[in-house]
Amino acid sequence: MENTIKVERAILNLTQDELAKKIGVSRQTINSIEANRYVPSTVLALKLSELFQKPVNDFFKLSSDD
Amino acid sequence: MGLKNIQECERNKIERWAAFQLEHKWKRFGILLSVLCLVLLMLLKLMDLNTLESSFVLKRVLLIGLLVISLSKDKEEDEMIVSLRAKSFTLAFVLAVVYSLVQPLVNVLVFYLIKGDMTDSFSYFQVLSFMLMLQIMFFEVLKRNR
Repeated sequence: MENTIKVERAILNLTQDELAKKIGVSRQTINSIEANRYVPSTVLALKLSELFQKPVNDFFKLSSDD
Repeated sequence: MGLKNIQECERNKIERWAAFQLEHKWKRFGILLSVLCLVLLMLLKLMDLNTLESSFVLKRVLLIGLLVISLSKDKEEDEMIVSLRAKSFTLAFVLAVVYSLVQPLVNVLVFYLIKGDMTDSFSYFQVLSFMLMLQIMFFEVLKRNR
């Protein structure tokens, strides 16, 4: 799974910490998601979708090994 | 009660048990209890005051302390922490089973190589403390490297 959370976050001018607080997780979790070390749950993905006002598919993409 | 209701009831109960956790403040209490028991066990051993009763009580209190640490929530508990904790429980469980399978073989090897005492068993305290310590260690390592 690949994602463009970092880009979406930059568009909204949010730090990792600010984004983490908005969706109720820790900064390290956001860092791990951005680095593709952790795949978030559907609930978290939908929270991000609501915040970015974009469908989940716009910032999460399946990679070749998925 | 229909089969579906029984299944639903079972699922709900297991989900509730699996979600059981202590508040973060309990972690400090667990650490304090474990360290205190470890220090006391070592002191009693060093001073040769180790009685069967004191060892029995301290070992069990140490296990309770380790369990409290294992079950305590993290400061910033979120879904990633829950996933890391699940991984650490899996690893600790598998390694504890491997340990309990290998330990008797080590005893036999030691007996034939060093001609020491042949002990064909080990205490459940050994396995449980090994498993709980591994879980705590794996969880902290996974958390640090997340």
